Amino acid sequence: MNDQLLAAVSQYGAPALFGIVTIAAIGVPLPITLLLIVAGSMISQGAMNLWWAIGLAGAGSILGDQAGYAIGRWGGPAVVAKITGLFGKRATLPAMEAQTKAWGGPGIYITRWLLSPLGPWVNLASGTARYPWHRFLFWDILGEITGAVVYIGLGRFFSDRVMALYAVLGDLTWAIAALLAAIVLGWQLLARLRRAEVQ
Amino acid sequence: MGKTWQRTLAVGLAFVVAITGTFVFAYRAGRRVRHIGAENEPIRAWMSVPFIAHAHHVPANVLFQAIGVRPQEPHDRRSVRHIAHDLNRPVPDLIAQLQRAIDAAAQPPGGHPR
Repeated sequence: MNDQLLAAVSQYGAPALFGIVTIAAIGVPLPITLLLIVAGSMISQGAMNLWWAIGLAGAGSILGDQAGYAIGRWGGPAVVAKITGLFGKRATLPAMEAQTKAWGGPGIYITRWLLSPLGPWVNLASGTARYPWHRFLFWDILGEITGAVVYIGLGRFFSDRVMALYAVLGDLTWAIAALLAAIVLGWQLLARLRRAEVQ
Repeated sequence: MGKTWQRTLAVGLAFVVAITGTFVFAYRAGRRVRHIGAENEPIRAWMSVPFIAHAHHVPANVLFQAIGVRPQEPHDRRSVRHIAHDLNRPVPDLIAQLQRAIDAAAQPPGGHPR
């Protein structure tokens, strides 16, 4: 299916990109980073307009994110459980809700583009946790525009090395996720050791 | 007390795994970055002929000619899979033919590779 989506963006340009990123933001796992890089490469080849690509990719993602938030907030527990169960995330939603409360806006921002696989679940969790909508919208717009500019920009710059760039970004994303986990775990470890020392 | 230490140990182990993961993935990313200019971009079925031509610095008409396709006007952005379907040919065959055309363009007759 990924091949067909990439071919659709390659053939039909920014409108296809808009449709695909909207669906992905709702929670369907699609290779959005690669699609944005490909869009950047096509801009470099003169086959797509830069501002249309950034605008439509950003708008599609924001639209999908807002739909996810609305489902979480107003859809009710049954709908949320059905959607999360569909993609095997039912067990992690309460944990995600707690993370959303703890991380707030920066957490929403970072899951728009740097840790984007978590984005759809943070949308749902923000809705169920009743995170204020205007704040969610602010961080969402900021994060999605950042993502569109960064990945389309990288694709434009490395326009003849799309697959290699995608592999580098994949490894970098995992490295950053592992680093964030190390920071959180290190903090917890330090707190535990200090507590043990006091006792 | 015992349970507390068990939990601390588990957090410690998870911390070590996370640190190891950070270094492993950062190293892999660094190694890929070093080779980014040297490796050839693979041809995929979703790519269009102009896209492949751009990635390999070969004129698109050379590749269209090599696979015996007259490009649709004004911009033929059909994927390799789409063209293979239109020509009733297997995708791997078309990819191999495109690769041969790229190799031939990189090595002019009687000359050294570019």
